Amino acid sequence: MNNTNDIDVILEQLFECSLPTESQIKYICFRARQIFIKESNTIFVPAPVTICGDVHGQFWDLKELFEIGGKPGETSYLFLGDFVDRGYYSIETFLLLLTLKVKYPDKMTLIRGNHESRQITQVYGFYDECMKKFGNSSVWRYCTEIFDYLSLSAIVENQIFCVHGGLSPKIDQINQIRLIDRKTEVPHEGAMCDMLWSDPDETTKEWEINPRGAGFNFGKLVVEKFNKINSLKIIARAHQLCQDGFQYSFDKKLVTVWSAPNYFYRCANKASVMIVNNELDHSFKVFEAAPPEKRNVKHRKTTSIYFL
Amino acid sequence: MLWSNNDQNDNKRAETKKTDKLYSIAVLLEELKSEDLHIRLCSIQKISVIALAVGHVRTRTELIPFLSEITDEEDEITLVLAEELGKFVDFVGGNEYSHTILPPLTKLARAEETVVREKSVESIKIISKAMDKNQIQTYLFPVIKDLANGKWFSSRSSACGLFSICYKSVDKSSKEELLLLFRELCNDKTPMVRREAAKELAELAPIVEEENLKKIIIPLLIQLSEDEQDSVRILTIDNCISVSKLINKDEFITYIIPTLQNCAADRSWRVRHLVANKFYQVSESVDPEIVKENLLEIFIDLLSDNEEEVRVSGTARISDFSKQIKEYQETISDVIFPIIEQLSQDSSKKVKVSLASVITLMAPIIGNQMSIEKLIPICLDLLQQDISEVKLSIISKLESLSKVVSEEILINTLLPVLIDLIKDPKWRVRCAVVDYIPKLGIQLGVDFFNEKIIELYITWLQDAIFKIRETAAKNLIQLTKEFGSDWCTYNLLPHIFKLLKNPNYKIKQIAMYSLSLLAPELEIDIISDKMIPKLTVLQNNKTPNVKLYLAKCLHELIPYTEETNIQEEIIPCLTDLLNDDDQDVSTFAKIALDEIN
Repeated sequence: MNNTNDIDVILEQLFECSLPTESQIKYICFRARQIFIKESNTIFVPAPVTICGDVHGQFWDLKELFEIGGKPGETSYLFLGDFVDRGYYSIETFLLLLTLKVKYPDKMTLIRGNHESRQITQVYGFYDECMKKFGNSSVWRYCTEIFDYLSLSAIVENQIFCVHGGLSPKIDQINQIRLIDRKTEVPHEGAMCDMLWSDPDETTKEWEINPRGAGFNFGKLVVEKFNKINSLKIIARAHQLCQDGFQYSFDKKLVTVWSAPNYFYRCANKASVMIVNNELDHSFKVFEAAPPEKRNVKHRKTTSIYFL
Repeated sequence: MLWSNNDQNDNKRAETKKTDKLYSIAVLLEELKSEDLHIRLCSIQKISVIALAVGHVRTRTELIPFLSEITDEEDEITLVLAEELGKFVDFVGGNEYSHTILPPLTKLARAEETVVREKSVESIKIISKAMDKNQIQTYLFPVIKDLANGKWFSSRSSACGLFSICYKSVDKSSKEELLLLFRELCNDKTPMVRREAAKELAELAPIVEEENLKKIIIPLLIQLSEDEQDSVRILTIDNCISVSKLINKDEFITYIIPTLQNCAADRSWRVRHLVANKFYQVSESVDPEIVKENLLEIFIDLLSDNEEEVRVSGTARISDFSKQIKEYQETISDVIFPIIEQLSQDSSKKVKVSLASVITLMAPIIGNQMSIEKLIPICLDLLQQDISEVKLSIISKLESLSKVVSEEILINTLLPVLIDLIKDPKWRVRCAVVDYIPKLGIQLGVDFFNEKIIELYITWLQDAIFKIRETAAKNLIQLTKEFGSDWCTYNLLPHIFKLLKNPNYKIKQIAMYSLSLLAPELEIDIISDKMIPKLTVLQNNKTPNVKLYLAKCLHELIPYTEETNIQEEIIPCLTDLLNDDDQDVSTFAKIALDEIN
């Protein structure tokens, strides 16, 4: 992998799952920061758009997603966070999405998930992957710094509210989100934390403690009120595994989208993307993990791994 | 300090170079003493540069001896060193000095770490190509003897790899010595050495004299084929392949057939697995008669082996093997096809997938009649077994079959099955069908295509899966090349122009993509009069994705459009897009406009 900072060259190599150099990663993070800085806490996204849930470092399944949904740049994508951890290619996956953001700023929208955090990535694999592939923590630092700039939510044509986790008792109206200072590590509590950690619960009436230890469980009344006050058609979120790729809740007032098939390479679940057309109708395209012969890494140096 | 010949002309330049050279070796020395492995590794990777800098003489007299001393370094370093030394022939002053590189490489060939000594042997082989007979006799031959008599198995293993490069160039008594040594190594007490010797046997066989081939090599082949270690026996098949090319029919039957029978029935499945994989290569070296009389039954046994992996690897070679007995069509029909039928009902999915990957390749070997009677029923059965990898394999290789059988069979038997598979739940199967149908369409002719296929084809351009739409679009080029640009203009373009008006932006995009792919095949006035106007109206579309794609599409069409249209229609359109609110639309419009200017 040569060391050019040409975005097209870097993109071509990332599409082949070739690891960028440390300086290239630093450069892409720098370019991406300039774009993220201008985005508000709730990004306005025009229709048509394809909404995708958690990807978790499953690079080849992300490529499968693009084969199904269309080429990034030609098709608009909105990713709901959780790009890293658990999969074997968190770096390549996140950098591909980030470089696509730099190349097609209006056709690629990325918002923050609860795994885009210094604390979480040290436990669930991203930090270890950076150490293994680069021998030091610089890349992890560049990425976790850029995580702080990621927006918290998005809204498609004022009708579909998109967030990684869910709702917060502190937020009734969407424009309250604007008041949050998001350029920080994910806090342990508060509105920003809730948005990235909360889960819908059909058995809950309004708010309950979330067994995850962060965010809340929210119920039907909360969702109905939120959708009504904010004139929403539906809430789209991710954060929870769906065996069939997607799952409606509360009479289709909320939907969970999950885009990591065969999650953790063992759950045998399907994945999906939510396709929103110009008229704001949506449908789901369900897909499975890419077959073994497509999961092929070509340019890997093997000497360093051999002597471990 | 020694001066190399090049520099004696220019004193001042030589003076600076002298300091450089001193500096280079000094720097190398310093870096190699560093505690940091990474620094030492980097400096070793640069020794070619240093050799170039210090010149031939100093490389020989100072650098090479120095490198010989550091051979007990970390494995990462010695591995790189072994590799770099293989490139040193030029640096030491050319072929006549190539043997001077042997000492450090010989030391490295004794290394404990396998990859290091394998790399050293590889490098010795490289530099030996630059040696003449004298050098080989004087310098390489003693090295081999030395290594072969080494105390540790590692040096004896390395010795094995060097026999074939040495043998031809030494004198008669040395040849005898070498063969004696080789025999000892084949009888070595450690299996690692016997394994390396077994590997070398295949290389040595074509080089030795006929007499020695029969007296020494073949008996050793048979002996090693009965070794107690399966890692040694596994090399038998390669040795048989090598020797088969060198002996006559009777010798083959006497020596090789029994050996093959034994290793095809070996108690270790890994041995049988490799035999099944490479068996057809043996049959390539002998007459078809011998293949039919003696080798066929061995192959059939492997295809019925208990172990799944053996059946899988044998099945993958059915077409390769059958090619060798092409003239015995009856045998193929009576002996091989029953086995194929059996394999198509095998309990293992892997076997069926393996079968699917080669079965259509039988068609050119057996011809139209047998394909219809025997092959097609099996293919149809496999397709109906609903294993997606099987379906995918067969469909992607259908061309071999369709080129052999008659049109009637294609239309009445194959086509309905394919149309059915269009509805397969796995998108990759559907995609394979979409990819194959154009080839079939071309075979069956333009009228058939227009009547039966084109409507269906247009629906594929609108499939929900992007890859399927893309595949359908890409194959339009092949169809247009075969059926002609007139056909495209009157039969295809109307459909595509209709797709441009589809409310879904993705369909508009694929329509634009198709047009940009077809442009090189079409008349310029069609593009200018018909295509461009229909495209430029899209500049008023509200969706940024459409406008972005429009800019891209116009960019592709520029080389195929008349100048007047470019000026009057394309440039205004792109200029409008340049001022679009959407950043990406604007970017692509700019790229296209820059190209025009």
